Amino acid sequence: MTPLLEIKNLKTRFFTSEGVVKAVNNVSYSMESGEILGVVGESGCGKSVHALSIMQLVQDPPGKITNGEVWLDGKDLLTFSEKEMKKIRGSDVAMIFQDPMTSLNPVFTVGFQIVEALRLHNDMTKAEARERAGELLALVGIPGAEQRLDDYPHQFSGGMRQRAMIAMGLSCEPKLLIADEPTTALDVTIQAQIVDLVKKLQDDLGMAIMWITHDLGVIAEMADRINVMYAGAIIESGNVRNIYKKTRHPYTMGLLGSLPRLDEDPGAELLSVPGLPPDLLALPKGCAFAARCGYRTEKCLEEKPPLEEIDGREHAVACWHWEEIAGSK
Amino acid sequence: MSRYIIRRIFSVIPTLIGVTFVIFMFQRLIPGDPAVAMLGEHATEESVERLREQFGLNRPLFLDREALAEGDINGFFDSQYVRYMKRLLVLDMGESIHRRIPVLETLKIRFPATIELAFFAMFIAIIIGIPIGIISAANRNTPIDSISMVGSLVGVSMPIFWLGLMEIMLFAVMLQWLPAGGRISVGVEIESITNLYLVDSILTANWVGFKDASQHIILPAIALATIPMGIIARMTRSSMLDVLQEDYIRTAKAKGLGHSLVLFRHALKNASLPVVTIVGLQMGTLLAGAVLTETIFSWPGIGRWVYDGILGRDYPIVQGGTLVIAFVFIGVNFFVDIMYAFLDPRIRYN
Amino acid sequence: MAEITPEEITVTDFAVREHRSLWVDAWRRLISSNTARLGMFIVAFFLLSTTFAHFFWEYEPKKDLNYSLKLKPPTLIPNEEVPSVHPFGTDKLGRDIFRRVVHGGWNSLRVGIVAVSISLFFGGLTGLFTGFYENIDTTHIEKLFLFGLTGLVLGSLSAWIAAQPIQAIFFAILGVIAAYFKDFQKGKALRMVVFAIAGALIGAILGAFVSSAVALISLIWGAITGALLSRPLEGKFFSNVMMRLMDIILSFPGYLLAIAIVAFLGPGLEKGMIAIGVVGIPVYARLTRSAVLSVSQKEYILAAQSVGEGHGRIIFRHITPNILSPIIVQTTMGLAGAILSAAALGFLGLGAIPPEPEWGSMLGDSYRYLTSGAWWAVLFPGLAIMFSVLGFNLLGDGLRDALDPKLRT
Repeated sequence: MTPLLEIKNLKTRFFTSEGVVKAVNNVSYSMESGEILGVVGESGCGKSVHALSIMQLVQDPPGKITNGEVWLDGKDLLTFSEKEMKKIRGSDVAMIFQDPMTSLNPVFTVGFQIVEALRLHNDMTKAEARERAGELLALVGIPGAEQRLDDYPHQFSGGMRQRAMIAMGLSCEPKLLIADEPTTALDVTIQAQIVDLVKKLQDDLGMAIMWITHDLGVIAEMADRINVMYAGAIIESGNVRNIYKKTRHPYTMGLLGSLPRLDEDPGAELLSVPGLPPDLLALPKGCAFAARCGYRTEKCLEEKPPLEEIDGREHAVACWHWEEIAGSK
Repeated sequence: MSRYIIRRIFSVIPTLIGVTFVIFMFQRLIPGDPAVAMLGEHATEESVERLREQFGLNRPLFLDREALAEGDINGFFDSQYVRYMKRLLVLDMGESIHRRIPVLETLKIRFPATIELAFFAMFIAIIIGIPIGIISAANRNTPIDSISMVGSLVGVSMPIFWLGLMEIMLFAVMLQWLPAGGRISVGVEIESITNLYLVDSILTANWVGFKDASQHIILPAIALATIPMGIIARMTRSSMLDVLQEDYIRTAKAKGLGHSLVLFRHALKNASLPVVTIVGLQMGTLLAGAVLTETIFSWPGIGRWVYDGILGRDYPIVQGGTLVIAFVFIGVNFFVDIMYAFLDPRIRYN
Repeated sequence: MAEITPEEITVTDFAVREHRSLWVDAWRRLISSNTARLGMFIVAFFLLSTTFAHFFWEYEPKKDLNYSLKLKPPTLIPNEEVPSVHPFGTDKLGRDIFRRVVHGGWNSLRVGIVAVSISLFFGGLTGLFTGFYENIDTTHIEKLFLFGLTGLVLGSLSAWIAAQPIQAIFFAILGVIAAYFKDFQKGKALRMVVFAIAGALIGAILGAFVSSAVALISLIWGAITGALLSRPLEGKFFSNVMMRLMDIILSFPGYLLAIAIVAFLGPGLEKGMIAIGVVGIPVYARLTRSAVLSVSQKEYILAAQSVGEGHGRIIFRHITPNILSPIIVQTTMGLAGAILSAAALGFLGLGAIPPEPEWGSMLGDSYRYLTSGAWWAVLFPGLAIMFSVLGFNLLGDGLRDALDPKLRT
């Protein structure tokens, strides 16, 4: 069976006056239908850009996808024309964004914006679309959904706007929903509500979800698999158990170490990853993480480690020293 | 929405009163005695005094403290300003000092001429400026963008009186395609209904008149439209570019909307807010620029009339003309505020 | 296998880029733009050529007259009819237009620069203070001053009616007292009554020396003044009054107001400068004010306030440097506008007094000869206006792009 989404050697570059920003570097992975994939990394690590690349929504200029294949349901999206791509966006793949405050158009009603998406991809009358939009708003838990269709975004609270965004994303029953940091701009309690909502919707509707976040805590409870990205590349990938319990990349260890944990000694010090991510304008020759890494050797500075499968199919890591790390644990 | 409009109306009132006050002050402060100016240097003191009495020029400007000192409270308030405000309330703007024609009569003919010219010019500026701005924004950093932006900057930098002269030289003197000035040719009659010749000729199905009036308005309107056109094009471009960076544009694209729907439905409505404001403000420039354009094209509007009034110290003309121009300007901007609320729900509901 | 632990980390090779100041950065962006470079070139060309001409190329407009050369077309090679070189031709008095265009530039640019300085100085200060006090409470001392001033201004009407200047001083003192005892009966009707009575007494008692009618009017006005002074007016009130004033000036179309001011002051270059400058004040006031409003709620201003820095210091040390970019852009573009307005005034005969050369008045002098074919007398001064204005506009445009914080990464 072919996977729902398969990405091969994806490269995205931004051609700026300062030089070429290497935002996504040789990313390859696949996703099955109905799977929840978490994509984790610091801001600026290319996780959002790689998602926009799937949708071909990278701002051009200055951005360009320079290499790679994006197979969705057995079709390579990168060979699609803009016209064919339009049909994919919003219907097969939908995306919701980080900031619900700015992601809805302020001069149109919420209802109009959902109806617009519905009528674009389905053969529906206005009345049908409006009815469906009301159902969708009810589905994402907005009380009095029917009446609120005529409200403008500024009349909604932040959490409600994100719910409306989700309703819009789900409107055409996509096979894949890409959620780009959907909870980052929200209060912690609202965050939990949104996470629960998405989990529930996934149970009911069964679409695959790509959940992009910098928060390992959020992703642990919902994802099936996790890709950890650093400097535009995947540096560790695997199912949730492996990533959390059998961490093999020093960067992932750092990320996990910086999470406070309730089940450990409350006096234990939180670890942090020292330094800053590398300049994407001038990536080092070897491992991009070497400058900040405690396991660094000559080899790390000279040669880039490939993403290798370890411990069977469920885990891959890009580090020359993963075995030492496994041993030292 | 209606509450918003009412609130705006109330906030305009102080400005209107302020404007009438400033106009009043200006005409009284212009040096030179209009009575002397009217009667000539050699007039007798007695006849000058009689004229001053007739026009109320012998009264104090605001308050008569000598009357008050004598216990005359009515006399205290009987000043030039109070008389002026009283007359304004009944739309009595007096007669021109030199020609003794009621100001309101002249305004009825001259005001439509200026309005016709200004609105026609604004129409040209909008229908050319906005598409240029949109095309530039959609093709950012391409040669099309650079050419149209430098082009519109040339428009903004244009001395319109000079442009008008060049137009006359080229189209009227050398090519003889269009008339060099005036509003209508001698011998062409248009029945006056609104005194807007283009409108009147359409209403009366007078196609000869319409053609003639159109030919006369084209050159002055183009001259007048140049600066606003450039400004509108540039404003449209920059506000489109701002809006195209917004997250909701990305959302619209992610929904699967095509390029033109994103541009015209999702971006343009948001981008139109600052453009609407600039159009309102440019109306003022148009009305003021009319002074120059009307001079060059012998256009019988209020700009030139007020200018002559200022030079001839004809108070009632200056007062009436300036007042009308300022009120139209305030009115247009009031309308712009309403438009704004209409376009942006955030203003409407707060 | 060597045991490596995270404790050994030495952080190297940080992604640190070359440090540049914002202004250096902006300058680099400016000179990397073609249009901005063109603008700079044009501006420099006009500034240098007119300045050099003014100081090193003598010209006596009063003696420049030669009827035998009246309205000759551009001549580059002297011939029998025109024995001298006139690259731009000659005007109705046989004067060399090239020479007058170059010398006229000195006047035109000067009007622009002085006018913009006037607008910038008064408009900028108004905007700074009104913007600042819109958000930030006045200090006690400032309040004493503001209330004293308000009392003085309002009281002077009463003082004028009764012809007793001393009355205005009493009202000013009443204002200071109202500000000083700001906690007296705060928020209660009694406060207003007390001050209204005090005002009425000042008006009526002194007015009674003149006549009973004067006393009556002064009593009413004094009561109103007293009542107003009893209110807890904040800086916001005064800044609103100022901005209303600016709105009123703005509701007159620019040229018309300038023409009216020149008509009032009489023609002449200096009068033109003042007229154009005054008309521009509200534009700068509004711009500065909105810029101040946007920074005055920023954390660094709050921080400066919390460590007790004086208001003057906050305004000039902390706010002003942060609002410079939009003002620089507006000033450059404003120069373009001022040159254009100056030319318009000159064209209408309200600028330079003849025979002093100035681009606008040169056009105004010559346009009647256009129909007889003397295009050169109109073309060249007009081109000079257009290109100088275009130069400042291009430069201003480039500056906006260079200083736009949205482009800063």
